[in-house]
Amino acid sequence: MKKLVFNKNIVFFSFVLFVVSCSTTNVTEEAVYDSVVSSVEVSVQDNAVSASEEYSSKPIMANAVVYFDFDKYSLTSKSIQTLRSIVEVMNDNTDIEISISGHADERGTREYNLALGQRRGEAVRDYLMLNGISKKRISVKSFGEEYPLVKGSNEASWAKNRRAEIN
Amino acid sequence: MKKIILSLFLISNLYAELVLEITESSENPYKIAVHDFEGAGNLSKIISKVIKDDLLRTGEFNVLGSEDLLSSINDIEKINFKNYRLLGIDFILLGTVKIEDKINITVSYDIYDAVKEKKVRSSKVYGIPNKTRQLAHYVSDGVYEEITDLRGIASTKILYVNEIKARSRQVFKLMLSDSDGMNEQTLLSSDSPIISPTWSPDSQNVAYVSFETGMAKVFIQNIATGSRKIALENNYQISSPSFSPDGKYLSLTLYQDGNAEIYILDLSNKNLTRLTNHYSIDTESSWSPDGKKILFTSGRSGSPQLYEIDLLKFNSKPKRLTFDGNYNAKASYLPNNEGIIFVHRTGSEFQIALKYFNENFSRPLTQSRLDESPCISPNGNVIVYAIKDDEQGLLAGVTLSGAKFKLPASSGEVREPAWSGFLR
Repeated sequence: MKKLVFNKNIVFFSFVLFVVSCSTTNVTEEAVYDSVVSSVEVSVQDNAVSASEEYSSKPIMANAVVYFDFDKYSLTSKSIQTLRSIVEVMNDNTDIEISISGHADERGTREYNLALGQRRGEAVRDYLMLNGISKKRISVKSFGEEYPLVKGSNEASWAKNRRAEIN
Repeated sequence: MKKIILSLFLISNLYAELVLEITESSENPYKIAVHDFEGAGNLSKIISKVIKDDLLRTGEFNVLGSEDLLSSINDIEKINFKNYRLLGIDFILLGTVKIEDKINITVSYDIYDAVKEKKVRSSKVYGIPNKTRQLAHYVSDGVYEEITDLRGIASTKILYVNEIKARSRQVFKLMLSDSDGMNEQTLLSSDSPIISPTWSPDSQNVAYVSFETGMAKVFIQNIATGSRKIALENNYQISSPSFSPDGKYLSLTLYQDGNAEIYILDLSNKNLTRLTNHYSIDTESSWSPDGKKILFTSGRSGSPQLYEIDLLKFNSKPKRLTFDGNYNAKASYLPNNEGIIFVHRTGSEFQIALKYFNENFSRPLTQSRLDESPCISPNGNVIVYAIKDDEQGLLAGVTLSGAKFKLPASSGEVREPAWSGFLR
């Protein structure tokens, strides 16, 4: 009796081997993942209105734009001329506070351009501070290449976009 | 029942109008015969088309459709492998689409090896009728991994920024699409610029930079719920987010002392650890796949170059990785950690380049003028990046095997792509 069971096992074992060696077909089943997406909307139109009101209430403004070379944040002699007049206006009107925004052209990466725009803004601030304007009266931020003044992928447009705006 | 089939047909037909443009393919592709799937009327034709496009886009397949083959196959028993081999075909794909009811659809497919003359895979995918493209992508991924032994990416997603000029105002949208650029969905719609989108490692959340508060700030948003929060509350500009591979940390660029410096934010307690300290620009951080190193762009040599910091060594000095070209930026690691991809300038042109760690030169992968924002697929085989085509921003792709393609253009400018992890 025992012998018979043993034989059965051998038969079964060889059958399994046969199946494995003959069928190497991969058999799979899967279900498509059902993803959910929610959409969000943000608007800052209201903020924009209040900002322009703030500007219009100022009697005297120190407004100017200075330009830079590609991948550079050093001030050109023309920029320095412009900044001299800003210093004058700010010295004559000690209640004026200014905001400097640095910008870059579209070439190069967006994050590096954001950092570059900041350096440009700081170069302008540093000049004003060297000429006696208090740091407290100046704020600096960068918009990188996100707010071009002029559209177009050519040197003329790029030159106009590499700038620091003083408001 | 008739109604269901009709509406399926209409939905899918809209998608079918967009054409994938393969500009070049690789040198040594597998040749596969894809017979139009059987059943479910026109729907199976559309599924077959999606699968063929997916396989073409991998750059590793030469695809012959039913229109290229002499006869259609109704009875699998009658496959004459010799005829396929005469056409140089290595593999044969056959499938059936079955609409079970309103909410269930099943695709069964078999892959045959024409040389070994046998079935190598028999699979079933269960889906829902309004997600037939996703169902087809699952089939493509099954075929791809059966034949190449690599995980497929047809079922992954891409995040990108879309800028639309609507009348007098601009709209910036953070979009999500399938890896083929189809099935677009809006995650965020804003009147302020959005840059640097990136995925959390589990692909449940995205981080990005928005200018909606008047300055650059990093936000984290849940894809499913839409809930969003600012990553770090302070008065400074923050940008360039990148999740650590374990999802616990976010590296970012903080303008705390004016200049761009890289910090690591612990997302559980908001603790900040400073990583760089240099008077020049340091930004665009990204994590190595093992989470032990951080790659970043620095201007410390006088021009943007790529550096790496070892997080395990205390106070370790950044190691410079790029020496050729005067602009190397926005880098990320290959998923296998064997190299990096980045934006590289040669002459006046910005291109996408690849550098392996065991080589001392960069390999340019693209040839146009203003290429940027490269992102790599989770299987490490495909790079999608932003190009300017006729002053219009759109997305293009290149595979490491050399195939090139463009993704279908949506309206407006498309840029800043970011690839999800595996979703299947």
